[in-house]
Amino acid sequence: MDWVFLSELAINGALTGLLYSLFAIGLVLVYKASSVPNLAQGGLTMVGAYVVLALARDLGMPLWLAIPLAAVVMFGLGFGIERVALRRLAGRPVVMILMLTLGLDIFLRGTTLAISGGTSRSMELGVSYEPLLLGDIFISRIHLVGAGVALALFVAFIVFFRTRTGIKLRAIADDYMASWSVGISVERGVGLSWALASVVAVAAGVIWGEIQGVDQALSLLLLKGLTVAVLGGLDSILGAIVAGIILGVIENVGAEFLDPLVGGGSRELIVAAVLILTVMIRPHGLFGRHDIERV
Amino acid sequence: MQEKAQGQSILSMNSIEVLYDNVMLAIKGVSVQVPKGGMVALLGSNGAGKSTTLKAISGLLKAERGHISRGEIKFDGTDITEMLAQKRVEMGICHVIEGRRVFEHLTPDENLTAAAPMGMSRSELSVQKDKIYDYFPRLAERRNSQAGYLSGGEQQMLAIGRALVTQPSLLMLDEPSLGLAPFLVAEIFGILQKINREEGLSVLLVEQNALAALEIVSEGYLIENGRVVMHGTAEALKSNSDIQEFYLGGGEGTNFHNVKHYSRRKRWLS
Repeated sequence: MDWVFLSELAINGALTGLLYSLFAIGLVLVYKASSVPNLAQGGLTMVGAYVVLALARDLGMPLWLAIPLAAVVMFGLGFGIERVALRRLAGRPVVMILMLTLGLDIFLRGTTLAISGGTSRSMELGVSYEPLLLGDIFISRIHLVGAGVALALFVAFIVFFRTRTGIKLRAIADDYMASWSVGISVERGVGLSWALASVVAVAAGVIWGEIQGVDQALSLLLLKGLTVAVLGGLDSILGAIVAGIILGVIENVGAEFLDPLVGGGSRELIVAAVLILTVMIRPHGLFGRHDIERV
Repeated sequence: MQEKAQGQSILSMNSIEVLYDNVMLAIKGVSVQVPKGGMVALLGSNGAGKSTTLKAISGLLKAERGHISRGEIKFDGTDITEMLAQKRVEMGICHVIEGRRVFEHLTPDENLTAAAPMGMSRSELSVQKDKIYDYFPRLAERRNSQAGYLSGGEQQMLAIGRALVTQPSLLMLDEPSLGLAPFLVAEIFGILQKINREEGLSVLLVEQNALAALEIVSEGYLIENGRVVMHGTAEALKSNSDIQEFYLGGGEGTNFHNVKHYSRRKRWLS
């Protein structure tokens, strides 16, 4: 095994991993503000990509306009989801809300299937498929762009969670009742977190749509995104970034060694193993908050 | 006399009935008045309906699937019976809920920030914070550590400080003395009294620790089984023999009279 090849695997793995992070940031946002894992993030990502396509292809807008506009539409959708579905469940057991998000995911998938059909459409961002040559290492340009977007969002949200609004969202995640008692609008906070997660979904939807085409399979990103979010600690944006890189590298390098042994398909196995082991060994992930027990 | 009391009340709660889940009647016609700038205590045993009374006033009943089925609550002359909890905080009612419930994963400083109204300017917020740190110097020392790791007393101080950031004119506290050492209770109650004196903040205090509560309030209500069974000045309540026996722990000497007290019942029940 030569080092150039190994580092190519690692670098491309890390870039792919950052794309998982891009997706996982959406999960973290909702969890950070409501302590609920949002199983609909896959569906939202897929819808985000479809909305961009609808604006760009069907209405003929240029992409530089379609993408921000889609972000606005999805921001509204996020708020709408809270208003219509989640508000009734505020304060109820988390399991019920979890099931609701799962149902939402299925609903979104079904809706896009009904409206746009199941054929894969291409995003056509215009990023060259010609790989970038870094020394002897080939790097995919779209992966590089996506990783950049992930890092930019990471910085933006780190700053956001230090603002007054961001602190209020974290307070909501800590304790709904105490938040209500000091006049924090829990409903609006949860709505905002869903709206922001929906905007992140547009970013993830555009990048992943460019890579694998826009169809219902986009919503399956949830599995890898959830693994990254859990490994990172579910409520840590930094965790999502670090865990994304770790998972990407393990997956890419590991699959290279394991695939010949098991005859392919070891990527999914590696992801599953990481998810299961994280929950078993370190349930609060790398950077997650743990429940405080004073003695 | 009733009318006169209402004229100067910041809070006037009239024959409030609260239902949980549409079936369980938790309080059955409770009327409570809090005079402007006054300190009032609600006393009574576990499950008597004290906390429910506070939640009816702060609007937090909704979160527990309760609602007011009868009566009205007026705050500063405005009917707030149906108002959203958030709106009531804006009007100046803040409820320090039972069990402290600080935002554990935030620092004390962030706890205060979280409670600040969106409209409060940055400079105003830092003035408010400084004031709160003045009242509770222990919090100032630990302003940047994680709130979940503060001691029980510090968490209670933080919970009160967090409520003060909302700039209430009526502060309601649910069992602030719970699980705290007597010297801490005295410290916290002393600070409450100071804030009440210096800023004219009206206080409604729910306590099982009647002895400590009656030391700082001017009047009290005794609630049992969802009803007000006694109301009077702190002095009158302290000298009432039933209160002494059931809520102040008796202990007034060991003369022979006390022996027959064992057979006494809370006659006002039933």
